[in-house]
Amino acid sequence: MKKRKFELNHLLKWRNTLDKCIRCGYCYEHCPVFKYTRWETEAPRAKLTMIYGLLSGKLEPSKYMADKIFSCFNCQQCVAACSSGVPLTEIFTDARADFAGTEFDTTGTTSITGYGCANCLTCVRACPHDARYFKDGHIVTDSILCQSCGICMDLCPNQSVSATHKYGTDRIYLNRQITDFLQRKNSKVIVFGCNWSFYPDLQSSSYDLEASYVPIYEQPDPEYKILINMCGGRLTKPLILDPFLENAWGVLVACCPDGECEHEGNVKVTAHVKGMKPVLDALDIDSERLGLVQISHGDKSGFQKAIDAFVERVKVLGSPVSGQSMNQNIRSARNEQTRSVR
Amino acid sequence: MKNMDIPRLKQIVGENNVKDDPADLFIYGSDASVHRAMPWVIVRPEKTSQVQGLMKFADEERIPVITRGSGSGMCGQTVPSHGGITLDMKGMNRILEINPPDVYCRVQPGVVDDDLNHALKPHGVFYPPTPASSRTATIGGEIGNNASGVRSVKYGATRDSVLGLKIVLPGGKLMSFGTRTRVEATGYQLHKLIVGSEGTLGVVVEATLKFVPIPKFRCLGLANFDRLEDAGHAVADIMAGGITPSMLELVDNVAIKAVNKTMNLGLPDVDAVLLYESDGMVKEAVDYEINVMKQMCAKHNGTGLQSSYDAKERAKIFMGRKKLFPALSKFSELHASTSLADDMAVPYSKMAETARKIHDVAKRHNIIMTAYGHCGSGCMHTKILMETSKQSQWNSARKAVDEIYEYVRSINGTTSAEHGIGISKASAFKAEKADSLELMRSIKRAFDPNNILNPGKMMDAPDDWVTATDLRYMVDA
Repeated sequence: MKKRKFELNHLLKWRNTLDKCIRCGYCYEHCPVFKYTRWETEAPRAKLTMIYGLLSGKLEPSKYMADKIFSCFNCQQCVAACSSGVPLTEIFTDARADFAGTEFDTTGTTSITGYGCANCLTCVRACPHDARYFKDGHIVTDSILCQSCGICMDLCPNQSVSATHKYGTDRIYLNRQITDFLQRKNSKVIVFGCNWSFYPDLQSSSYDLEASYVPIYEQPDPEYKILINMCGGRLTKPLILDPFLENAWGVLVACCPDGECEHEGNVKVTAHVKGMKPVLDALDIDSERLGLVQISHGDKSGFQKAIDAFVERVKVLGSPVSGQSMNQNIRSARNEQTRSVR
Repeated sequence: MKNMDIPRLKQIVGENNVKDDPADLFIYGSDASVHRAMPWVIVRPEKTSQVQGLMKFADEERIPVITRGSGSGMCGQTVPSHGGITLDMKGMNRILEINPPDVYCRVQPGVVDDDLNHALKPHGVFYPPTPASSRTATIGGEIGNNASGVRSVKYGATRDSVLGLKIVLPGGKLMSFGTRTRVEATGYQLHKLIVGSEGTLGVVVEATLKFVPIPKFRCLGLANFDRLEDAGHAVADIMAGGITPSMLELVDNVAIKAVNKTMNLGLPDVDAVLLYESDGMVKEAVDYEINVMKQMCAKHNGTGLQSSYDAKERAKIFMGRKKLFPALSKFSELHASTSLADDMAVPYSKMAETARKIHDVAKRHNIIMTAYGHCGSGCMHTKILMETSKQSQWNSARKAVDEIYEYVRSINGTTSAEHGIGISKASAFKAEKADSLELMRSIKRAFDPNNILNPGKMMDAPDDWVTATDLRYMVDA
């Protein structure tokens, strides 16, 4: 396909707005991409600075730059944190519009369709942002509309949808986190949270010290760990099962209340949890060990209360049956869930 | 731009800890100040031995080294005006030790202030300097600028909390300054000298910090004043009243109007608001201090006096102050909020007069300035709202800043209370400390004979801050 020449078009209207950013950096600690990389160049402020560079003619456009622009989960935590009221994600969307279709076009965190796609159109129908469509025999993504929610990645029966950059939202990374945590003394519960409703910021969290490191011997032994999976809709059934393989006492899935999820991912994850209960029963695991809770945007105290209550509930249930045979049962069930058409 | 030996740098810090794409260099070329310049390369060390290797390399090659934390400084301290290596210290972000019996902790410089306090909380203690930017500011950056915040009136600035430092000198030598004890009278306390040196003397790789108990009770009060001078007199009386507030904040009418205009909070349209807070372990003691402050406010015609211990109520009372930053940024479509002449300290008795002076100067030069600040520690903050695309506005800002600093010196105030000097305040700093500049340069030479550490800052920065570097705004000719 012929690529168009890069031209500043959509971004022009933001010239004055860019000066509103006082570069305080308050957006950093809220950005999942920055939290993962710890590089300032990946923070929302950096994107604004680059866009300023483009508008002022101090920077030439490049694929490297576009890769940063397209690497954003649109969680809008930076917008909420901005002390100057800059509509960062709107500006980033316009930057995408200027880069899309040019020689610098790239994919970043947006979804891409790979080999194995059967053109079943499940993802096209399910995309809450109308970002996927069928064209010339292939399913393609509109990288301007795509919000990187990942619902298509979970839904694809052939697992043919992925993203170039995942920044800790992929199953391999989350699995490593689950294993590391559940091997620790006193660990019991894995909580899957979604970025939109309650991404745990450092200031108010009492459980996340990943940005700085306290030696193990200095840390209290937490009973639960919160893992963020961008949107509840991205949470796969096998991933819900994974903690049980590591002898977790319980798994709590948190999502937005009905009508509040930007991607309707809460509907899907609610169905997943419901669907997993019989599976757990079949494995002789009390289905009460899998919980679901709806949390409104930013309701940190509500989230904390729900976690505390769930942890107390599974403590009453006690330690799950452990041993090789149970692990093997779960492993088979997990493989089955991976294979099955969701 | 000098050709950098990138393979050698990668050998020292690892393949993934070096960046030199133009986009990355551009991003690291600015901070929260008005300045902009480009480093030649960005390097992110993860351990002390890597910093030593880098400093040896840089000193041999005479390459400038600019140490950077979160880049939230407001005066251009981390803007690489002479190019060179930007040393991103966020890779060294470990809390090494928390030692409650000996009341200290040891941290690496890239630890974020809030993270440290988060880790200290289970021990019932906190690290008190905490600037407003504590969510992103690193301990290393706070040490570089001798940062402080709203509670410095009671708990002091960073220098008061630093017990010891490990630093790497140009050439790569590791030095250990200070102690782990509460007091020290053992010669020159060089760690205190490093605090506030803005990365010009060495690279901090470890800090030993003391902490204090988290108070059990906290009460916040508010008073409105129809005359700014009355609020100023109340401040002076409170500070002379035999008590130590944990916070004492002044907000002027320009700020109140900005908050009302953009946030619709319905604050009373008075000349000034005073926010006062007391904290402690015993409620009666906190009650006593709050009552003293209320009496002082009432004595100077303060109205609408209210106070609360309740966290939600306190948040409501503090809302106007909290919303000040976004309010100023949204003040008008044309104006942007800039950090210039933004943190001088003046004697308590001159607070109100200083605020008036700031308003007069702003009016004369056709810019908008607000006055607010931690008046309990004598710190007066301002923001200049201006049309950043117009050269004429920068000329006006230059004149206004000069006049304000001249006035501050005339009343025995000081150029910076908590943001440091960097580039923007260099001329005022040089005028204020004229008789000790050569001595400071000698100290700098003793630490850094080849002048590679953050060159062109403080006493060595150009006098005209407007032309010292490119401005980070698009200014029409």
